[in-house]
Amino acid sequence: MSSYDSSDESQHEKMDRREFIKRTAIGAGSMALSVSLVGCMAGKGMNGNAATNAVNETLPLKYKDYNLVFVSFDALQAAHVGSLGYSRNVTPTIDAIAKDGFNFTNAISTASWTVPASMTWFTGVYPSEHRLTNKFAVFNPPSNNILSNLKKLSPNLVTLAEILKQNGYATGGFTGNAGVNGFFGYDQGFDTYFYEKGKFGSMGVSIPKALDWLKENKNKKFFMFLHGYDIHGQGIPEGGFDYRFVEPGYDKRYTGSKEEQEALREEGLEKGRTTLRDEDVRFWRAIYDEKIQRTDAKFKKFLDELEKMGLMDRTIFVLTSDHGTEFHEHKRFDHGFSLYDELIHVPLIIKLPKRTDGKIIRDQVSSIDVMPTILDLLDVNVQEKTRKQLRGTSLSPAFKGQSAAKDVFSETDYRLYTFKRSIQTREGWKFIYTMESKTGELYNLKSDPGETKNLVDVERKIAYELEHKLFAHFKSIGHDLNARRWETGLNPVYDSQAKPAQKK
Amino acid sequence: MFRHFTNNSSIVITTLFLGVLGLLSGTGLCSPLESAKPTPRHESTNVILISLQCLRADHLGVYGYKRNISDNIDALAKQSAVFDDAISQANLTPVAQMSVLTSKYPRVNGMVSFEVAKDMVTSRTLPEILKYYGYTTAATISSPEFFMRFDTESGALINPGDVFSRSFDYYGRTARGPQGTSIRVAPTDAFQWLKGNKDKKFFLWIGSGLLHMPYSAEVPQPYQTMFDAPGYVPFWKRLPGLDEDVSWGDNPEYDIFSRVYRNDFYWGFKPIYHLNEDDLKYVNGRYDAGVYYTDLYVGELLKLLDDLELKEKTLIVLQSMHGDDLGEHGIFFHYDVTEPVIKNALIMRFPNGEFGGRRVSEQVQGLDVMPTILNYLDIPVPHDAQGKSVIPLVRGDKDATGSEYVFIDRMPWWEYTLSKWYLELQNASGAKFSPVESAKLKEYRDLLQTSFDKLGYPPGDIAVRTGEWKLILRMNRDILEKVSWWRFITGTLQPVEELELYDLKNDPGEYINVAHKHPNIVAQLKSKLLDWNSRVEGQKAVYKKSDKRYIIPYP
Repeated sequence: MSSYDSSDESQHEKMDRREFIKRTAIGAGSMALSVSLVGCMAGKGMNGNAATNAVNETLPLKYKDYNLVFVSFDALQAAHVGSLGYSRNVTPTIDAIAKDGFNFTNAISTASWTVPASMTWFTGVYPSEHRLTNKFAVFNPPSNNILSNLKKLSPNLVTLAEILKQNGYATGGFTGNAGVNGFFGYDQGFDTYFYEKGKFGSMGVSIPKALDWLKENKNKKFFMFLHGYDIHGQGIPEGGFDYRFVEPGYDKRYTGSKEEQEALREEGLEKGRTTLRDEDVRFWRAIYDEKIQRTDAKFKKFLDELEKMGLMDRTIFVLTSDHGTEFHEHKRFDHGFSLYDELIHVPLIIKLPKRTDGKIIRDQVSSIDVMPTILDLLDVNVQEKTRKQLRGTSLSPAFKGQSAAKDVFSETDYRLYTFKRSIQTREGWKFIYTMESKTGELYNLKSDPGETKNLVDVERKIAYELEHKLFAHFKSIGHDLNARRWETGLNPVYDSQAKPAQKK
Repeated sequence: MFRHFTNNSSIVITTLFLGVLGLLSGTGLCSPLESAKPTPRHESTNVILISLQCLRADHLGVYGYKRNISDNIDALAKQSAVFDDAISQANLTPVAQMSVLTSKYPRVNGMVSFEVAKDMVTSRTLPEILKYYGYTTAATISSPEFFMRFDTESGALINPGDVFSRSFDYYGRTARGPQGTSIRVAPTDAFQWLKGNKDKKFFLWIGSGLLHMPYSAEVPQPYQTMFDAPGYVPFWKRLPGLDEDVSWGDNPEYDIFSRVYRNDFYWGFKPIYHLNEDDLKYVNGRYDAGVYYTDLYVGELLKLLDDLELKEKTLIVLQSMHGDDLGEHGIFFHYDVTEPVIKNALIMRFPNGEFGGRRVSEQVQGLDVMPTILNYLDIPVPHDAQGKSVIPLVRGDKDATGSEYVFIDRMPWWEYTLSKWYLELQNASGAKFSPVESAKLKEYRDLLQTSFDKLGYPPGDIAVRTGEWKLILRMNRDILEKVSWWRFITGTLQPVEELELYDLKNDPGEYINVAHKHPNIVAQLKSKLLDWNSRVEGQKAVYKKSDKRYIIPYP
């Protein structure tokens, strides 16, 4: 422990190094480019600080009656975002907003897949508490299947949309269905909630729907949730790929289809690893980049429309993702089944209206903090009971230059295939515990950002104390992890998986 | 995060200290893993755990025994916190003690019988956790239960590294004593170890099996016979014809007393002798001679700690692993969950005289030992610990409580060990049976082997104890009657009650089963007990199929 100095300065210095390692490890870009990017970012942070802090501290940071646009780019891995250090220019629109807004470079999601992770934004509680941890609350084929639903699982929880609606907001959700479909209760509190049944829908569809709604509601104060699966493995661009980033000479073992994506994920689950060559991994990242770039462009058009409607100066933007995705970093593919950095480290950008004095915030924060931050910024009435519901804390001190760094917790019960819980400390330790096998993993994120060296049998005291903290955390939120048995099973997430199970 | 208990004045100082630190650091954001607390105790406190097998609390002066045989332990107790109602989790040595070392019920940690595989228990143990915190760990042991194993296939005696020796840097096993009959000697190698390691931060576990039957077998003269009545001749030497069947040898008490049921000595399925007052006095005298000699050993140990200047930086916990029946119910050994068997001595001497003279009357249990030691050392208690720290009780916290209900597993002893080992191999090497009994042995062994499942966890006898009541539930009463050792040696079925309720306040000797008189208490305690039982079943340890098992030999 003594090797970790917890003073702010050294932490920033070391975080830069961690990010640097991460960027070079991702490795599509050249070393030189990565270095210069780090230089840029550090420069911005440092030069900007003194001047902007003074302004920030005098501002009240209250935006009563402003609009809120909350955007989830589903499955956007932090490492592929330019404003988080990615070298390939695939997110110019997002990066521009990040430059003017508050760019949280160490935001960790509470879960590694859509259903549990997204509901945390809207309830301010951990997945264990909102209980939307799998598609089916009861999966009992062929006929006794009960879809998970927030109102049924956790009737007392109040959603962000409900609070804003009570405070006079028009509320509209425009989504890609699947993990955030209305049946799960994602529509709770929304006047309008769009999702195309049976689809992993695109922003190509949800954006026009959102804009139509805006035309009707732009004169009211509004809360919009915009979401799409364009970047996700199940999202395919309209008209197909143009393979713009695929290296010439790739032997086309894969084409980038969603069926291939699903097969790779299932292979990883079944065998513990996927068999991908380095060129295949580069191919899949190239495909991913094409999707990201196309999505970023769609998002730019959306912003242009808002600009035309004159809404930009009255609207707070929150841009984020529910989880990342894995490209063989830990020898598997897709997401949900682990809690490694590639799955839970997400972009989080908060852009405040009429301000371009944003900054990079390196403090480690959690998606659990998003809802309290929004409520704080919008300065709405929140009942005491609802306030007590919130497990996170407002990040607005970070806007004023104060520390918001905290230990963060994540979890996944992905399809009952596995049950994992993790804690990631401010100092850069990460401990992952797998409930069904009662095994722990410990990583030093500063020296090993890729989480490749499990130190659980080396740093035993640290592992022991983090295990203690992890269990104490879940106990404190009413989930004694020792109070039940963790039996793995099969809980489908896609229809294609449910059908064979139902036949049995 | 972890309660650092101390006296009031240092709490004030601590608070001031933390306050100043908070001001200095501005944000107060210290690392949670290295927060600015006073130096945690685990940085400089040694721990010695003295575990005495078969030590009855009521045979020590500190617990009111009239015969003066425990001067040193009594003196230690005066400087210590003393627990008046400390209960063990089981009647069998390795089972009860693994609950102490893991703070888990036997079925949860997996140590449920005399059959042990190397990796059978995966729960964290006290020495394992202390090693995380830089402790040098050592054990010096004279109970074969903790190191001796018997290969049921080859018949060989082996010493595998196993569940008890895991996480010990040094694991000392005693050899046969000067009398040559038993390894159950005073584990004096602890003294050498202490002298050689006094400058290290250490955890030393001393496990003594000296008090086990045959009583005082390895106690040297003049102590061995110090309480023998002049002229007394043991009854088995007086019985005509007995020696014609077998030759009893020098120290037959293990075999002799395992044949005593309701104070009748059985031979050839017949009660051929009823033990009288003098016989019981003799057994108690030999037992007490063992206590006396053990007390001398403890005195030596304490003196050595003084000489090595370790007293003020060493926490001493002295405990009985379990007690022994000495004929009060007409039986011997630790066959059942009677009060003499499960009620323990528990004495904790804290450094610097802290809590010296405290008596704790609340019920506590074996599961509490590990959490207490860790709590004192400012080390987090494992999240899955099933006991709790008794420090709040010792400190006299207003809201501190003991364990209102203590749950106990009874493990069959002879029935189990006989089925696996004793009847086949110990018999070949000299266990004593009459000719009529020998003819029935194979049948009995087959019965035992078909009655217990492969993992050796027997049909459950379970008990719940409060400060006032004890309820024993024999869930498979008919199987017990069928396989009972008592049935075998007496040749007739001995009825087993399904439910026994004892009023411990008015009938501390447990002579009258009052289950019929108090149906409400039975119902309430039974429901607690069954709740616990199903909870524990749900947390039962899962064994790897490949684990080769070895049995602990007897005696």
